[in-house]
Amino acid sequence: MFIYEKKLQFPVKIATPNPKLAAFIISQYGGPDGELGASMRYLSQRYAMPYAEAKGVLTDIGTEELGHMEMVAAVVHQLTRNLSVDEIKNSPFAPYFVDHTTGVYPTAASGFPWTAASIQSTGDVIADLTEDLAAEQKARLTYDNILRLSDDPDVNNVIRFLREREVVHFQRFGECLRLCKEKMDAKNVYFTNPAFDKNPPAEKG
Amino acid sequence: MNNENGGSCPLPSCPDNYGTMPACAGLAVPYVPFQQDNPKKYAQSEALSNGTLFPGLNLPFHLKTEGSALPSNPLVELQALEFVVLELGIYLDTHPDDAEAFTLFKQYAAMEKAAKAAYESKFGPLTKSAAASGDGYRWLQEPWPWNFQQNEVK
Repeated sequence: MFIYEKKLQFPVKIATPNPKLAAFIISQYGGPDGELGASMRYLSQRYAMPYAEAKGVLTDIGTEELGHMEMVAAVVHQLTRNLSVDEIKNSPFAPYFVDHTTGVYPTAASGFPWTAASIQSTGDVIADLTEDLAAEQKARLTYDNILRLSDDPDVNNVIRFLREREVVHFQRFGECLRLCKEKMDAKNVYFTNPAFDKNPPAEKG
Repeated sequence: MNNENGGSCPLPSCPDNYGTMPACAGLAVPYVPFQQDNPKKYAQSEALSNGTLFPGLNLPFHLKTEGSALPSNPLVELQALEFVVLELGIYLDTHPDDAEAFTLFKQYAAMEKAAKAAYESKFGPLTKSAAASGDGYRWLQEPWPWNFQQNEVK
């Protein structure tokens, strides 16, 4: 089960509201490579994993991503607090505002709402862990692009932290894949899927 | 521990930001170098400001390597301790035999537990069960974590 801790993983204190920044940072909440998708991907994939290291890494990183969702939401919330209608009217935040006012909604910067179609849980050890390596890279580059577009140091401190976590998670998923592979068929790692084939079948002629 | 998984690199000159690879590896699967056992570590406040405990994994974008400046207050001190426990916890998932990392994990977990209890007695509960200790029900008191400050709506 999960227990809420009434604090963030990393401090978020955005002194200056800025709806323009909020309009694209929301992508790391509900976009295709955002924190909601990351969390759902890892916390869903862990059930099929036959190996303890993979269960542990997916549980721990999936849980950390829930905390990152909260941090991105806090950034968006603080960037959009106390706005006047005039500040919104001529900003790229206006289309989001029409549907959600200043509520936090899981959507991509493009306006496409969060979809489970952007994640996978294949029930296959190597496919899932390889997807996770790619997912960390996609999130990392999204943070790179946010850093290109934002010049607010309060925002960039938080984005820098989140981006670095993607690098560390990539490393751990890579190590996890190696540990899993060592437990699989040494001659042909694709001979069976240990998440499904409990009694490895005989070779077919 | 063998050299492929988390042991130390056989080359004496192998730097901390390099890892170990199998000498002979099966084809058609991806490989990420394994982080060597007992890697260099930051102190807790530097770890939090950099987003990693490990200098070898600190690879920032368009930025100098020094981490961001964080405010100094009891909450940030607690966040720094919790961050080290979290980071070491994930490291130990793939390096369960690194005894020095486990010793550090135990030390930081104890420090975090003490710091959390001290924080909660002074500033209010961080978890629901901590809301049961105290004279009255303080779970609803400001600030909530995502708010910039109290009463932020004009």
